[in-house]
Amino acid sequence: MNNACMKWKEQLLEAALAEMAETELQEHLSQCPDCAAELETLRAKRERMDSVLPLIATAEEPSPDLRARIMAATETSKVRPMRLMWGAWALAGVIALVVIAVTVNWVRNRENKEMAATVQTAQQLAEWQSPTADLLKVPGQELLNSSPRLGESYISIPMEERKGEKP
Amino acid sequence: MTGSWVMAKTEAAMAEADAGFGTRVKENQRRVFQIAYSVLGDRADAEEVAQEAFLQAYQNSRALRDEEKFRGWVNRIAFRLALNRQRATRRRLTRDTAWQSGTPVTADAAKSAEDRLLLAHLRQAIEKLPRELRAVIQLSVVEEMDATQVGAVLGIPAGTVRSRLHTARKLLLEAMK
Repeated sequence: MNNACMKWKEQLLEAALAEMAETELQEHLSQCPDCAAELETLRAKRERMDSVLPLIATAEEPSPDLRARIMAATETSKVRPMRLMWGAWALAGVIALVVIAVTVNWVRNRENKEMAATVQTAQQLAEWQSPTADLLKVPGQELLNSSPRLGESYISIPMEERKGEKP
Repeated sequence: MTGSWVMAKTEAAMAEADAGFGTRVKENQRRVFQIAYSVLGDRADAEEVAQEAFLQAYQNSRALRDEEKFRGWVNRIAFRLALNRQRATRRRLTRDTAWQSGTPVTADAAKSAEDRLLLAHLRQAIEKLPRELRAVIQLSVVEEMDATQVGAVLGIPAGTVRSRLHTARKLLLEAMK
């Protein structure tokens, strides 16, 4: 393929894969023996590729005893579900123990909190005093409790106020 | 009395399930092997992958009920296991044979030496393809795998499979020059 025909490279590949060339390419092929030969070469390679490519998966057959080996492996694996079951039971037991421990702890905490609240209330009740004594207090009780000495009055009047008094 | 009746029923049900699974293995083993072989290019490795895929299917009892679901499931798991094994093999080869050059010899029983050469060349070219194109070409060459089934394994629509397959074939044809 000469340099002038390089622009047809992509279309030649497509034509080799699709078994048919577009009209534009067909016109070019009718005038360009190089590209026509290139297309024939590509088609031959494509046919060769298509014949060999499946061998990537089918070049070899599985052994005749493959099925027997698979079935034997599944027989052996039957032990595994039992092991898995024991494992599952053990896990379930551990989870149950954890749940019980957490619940017991929570109940105990709750009881302790209730007990503390009861003790606090009882303490407050024990310290409680009737407000009656305060209500019965007479204003100025302290003054009344102390009798004035000779020359003193129950209520002391500042001297400055006396000075301001009109005669 | 009741206990023995239950045991007998359970054993009968298990035997029936095993017989059903045996049939599924028979129907699917060739395709599952081919899926693994198209990725690994080695019969022993492909058989181990196929065995592991069926074992996983056996242990997943829910996937066994529906034939179509089983088929799709075992295809997917076989392809995934094969890719995992390929990665592990590559790592091991890189580590153990870093001093060597060239590609490992495969045991392809192709018809002729010329075919073997071309097959090896194509395998190399496929390895160089982008991952999404490589997966499509590896699955499309498996017998009984149409675009819908390839799409089911890869989780893409059938139209995307066809488009990627076309691109992959074009790149391979270009690589054959």
